[in-house]
Amino acid sequence: MELKRRDFLRAAALAGGGLSLGGLRAPGAGQERSPRPRRILILGGTGFIGPHQVAYARERGHTLTLFNRGRTAPELFPNIEQLRGDRATGELGELGGGREWDAVIDNSATDPRWVREAAQLLKDRAGQYIFISTQSTYVSRAEIGIEETAPVGRPDLPKAEWTGYGPSKALSEEEAQNAFPGRATIVRPSLIVGPGDETDRWTYWPVRVHRGGEMAVPGTPQDPMQFIDARDLSEWLIRLAEDGTAGVFNAVGPEAPLTSAEMLYGIRAVTSQPVSFTWVDADFLAEQGVRAWSDMPAWQPPRGRTAGFARMSNARALAAGLTFRPLAVTARDTLEWFLSQPPERQGALKAGLTPERERYLLAAWKVRGSGAEEAR
Amino acid sequence: MASRREFLAGTAAAGLGLGLGGVPVSGYEGGGSGAGGGSVAGRPSSLQTVARAPRSLRILFLGGTGFLGPAQVEYALARGHTVTLFNRGRTDPDLFPGVETVFGDRATSDYAALAGRQWDAVLDNSANVAPWVVDSTRVLKDAVGRYLYVSSISAHSDNSILGQDENGPVFSQEDYDQAIASGASPGAAFGPHKAQAERETFKAFGDRGIVVRPGLIVGPRDRSDRFTYWPVRIDRGGEVLAPGDGTDWAQIVDVRDLGQFMVHLVEEGASGTFNATGPEAPLTMAGMLYGIRAITSTPVTFTWVDSDFLREQKVGAWMEMPVWVYPEPDTRGFSAYDCSRAIAAGLRFRPLADTARDTLEWWKARPEAERATMRTGVAPEKEKAILEAWHARNG
Repeated sequence: MELKRRDFLRAAALAGGGLSLGGLRAPGAGQERSPRPRRILILGGTGFIGPHQVAYARERGHTLTLFNRGRTAPELFPNIEQLRGDRATGELGELGGGREWDAVIDNSATDPRWVREAAQLLKDRAGQYIFISTQSTYVSRAEIGIEETAPVGRPDLPKAEWTGYGPSKALSEEEAQNAFPGRATIVRPSLIVGPGDETDRWTYWPVRVHRGGEMAVPGTPQDPMQFIDARDLSEWLIRLAEDGTAGVFNAVGPEAPLTSAEMLYGIRAVTSQPVSFTWVDADFLAEQGVRAWSDMPAWQPPRGRTAGFARMSNARALAAGLTFRPLAVTARDTLEWFLSQPPERQGALKAGLTPERERYLLAAWKVRGSGAEEAR
Repeated sequence: MASRREFLAGTAAAGLGLGLGGVPVSGYEGGGSGAGGGSVAGRPSSLQTVARAPRSLRILFLGGTGFLGPAQVEYALARGHTVTLFNRGRTDPDLFPGVETVFGDRATSDYAALAGRQWDAVLDNSANVAPWVVDSTRVLKDAVGRYLYVSSISAHSDNSILGQDENGPVFSQEDYDQAIASGASPGAAFGPHKAQAERETFKAFGDRGIVVRPGLIVGPRDRSDRFTYWPVRIDRGGEVLAPGDGTDWAQIVDVRDLGQFMVHLVEEGASGTFNATGPEAPLTMAGMLYGIRAITSTPVTFTWVDSDFLREQKVGAWMEMPVWVYPEPDTRGFSAYDCSRAIAAGLRFRPLADTARDTLEWWKARPEAERATMRTGVAPEKEKAILEAWHARNG
């Protein structure tokens, strides 16, 4: 059974099986060949989102070159041109010479120096530089509907003192813009989810729902949720390269606002497992030391500093052609991928509550809900 | 086999995508996903993966070409049983060309074609009036091993009870007699007829009798549209009028889960009565609608409108707001039946996403003319007007 399932998954991943409704693809993300075949250089390409870019770009008829260290899954794409080097040590020799590309997709940089070196090296030989940034660049996520023009980094500090993930990514964006003025595409995804995500930051939910029983879920049923399927993101990146679209984009989904109840019941819909949800109030979670995001994945309390965390504007990306798979496809594929992992991997979820902690939390919540606390 | 292939071809054309293969949804084949091992959506229950039954049965289907019948027949064939259909030859006569069909008419008590034949079991799909079962059980009493009568949850007479099982009250002999005496139409006396037919089944067959009481049966090929409205409406997108506050119960059963369960019951030689609706864990209207939302990419928002307001706006439960009834003291148990006996006997539920997706795909493959006349659901203009009125009232 296990082997069969793995085989099937592999076949499905290749052949585009799955929920035939809208297919494995989001609407508009056709598998047909692009009328504009491009030469695309992918920096990285073998991590979580890179392989999806490669698969889609091949179907669309583009010519690909991957540049990486050859350490992560080097056997993944035997038939694709691979250039070797190491951005950490500045070994970019194989990107030198007179090679030209229509677009570069930079998946692998957090350090602004990495972007500066690659972008400067390629600026006269590549048409477009697509940099995968992050929502963490924003100074604040307290507002609702934050657009791409909102401030990034640490405006309170001189740039030389910007450190940490978000500010470094903001500086990296600048390096891309400087080398490719008017030809840079900055994409800021929210939580990237789907099969192959080794962080388990969203995977926890389908896995937990599939285990069944009573679940502790965070906040209120109306709390907003945003995330993006790695495949929707990757396929859109390739289309941005096809269209030569420049600009800055929040890459968050889905299209219409999604509540936590809609997300959880949507995930429930892909399993037969009897399951029920108990929403546990944000203050109580904090009191119990249950952390948003890591213990309660994909969630931040929609108030104060994180009021706008899952209510970012995606209007620009939608206008630029970002489309989304149905949630059921993301949930099912993620779950099936996880269930195909070795038992030791399945036994070590990297996010979410442990069963014991969840049981305790539910019991504590009910004691409080029953008024026992007031009675004491 | 030719017939089965044709059926498969037909359903594939209708967009069911049976060819995807993979994890069987129901656990009857052994090794599938039984209770405690829920299955994952997106792998339509490919009947190609269904194991043959250890013993091949001869099964007679009264009806067999409507909505529920084909789901039973298809599964029975996949299990290697020998199938005979008994019907008038009027509904979808070409559905199973390779399967033996004998003709008769229950309305005129014409069962001549069954004379001298024997079967291991009969599945009676086609009787909504009790006298038909009086006749068919008399004709078949000594010719078949087991008689499975497809009754209805409507045989129960008191929907004020939450979580009632098979022992909950049903319409009595007196109720039935009164209905007949008053000249009530079979439609108006649906529950009393079903309850009476159950009694006739057991009167003739004793512990060789099986009664299954389905709740709302849904899925592809459902021409009543009583669930179909929701996937279709949600797939259309925009602001969707949703009834109540989202916490009212919803119970439905996928026609394929139900059909397979019934064949399973005769394979197992079961006896007695089974309430059969789903899913296993209670589902709310919000759970159902949000689950359906998950199968489409269409931007959609739900506006839950309270039942008092819906009543003011003259919105009909069930037909205008499918699956849902007004939460009243005398209807609060309508979607809260206890089906644990059926689950213990092997009723399994495919994921809601599969039901919703297959239903929507089937709908989309229907001829334009049929799609133009959705039988249920609030009309688009009325929905819009109600939403506007609701927003106006709530500022």
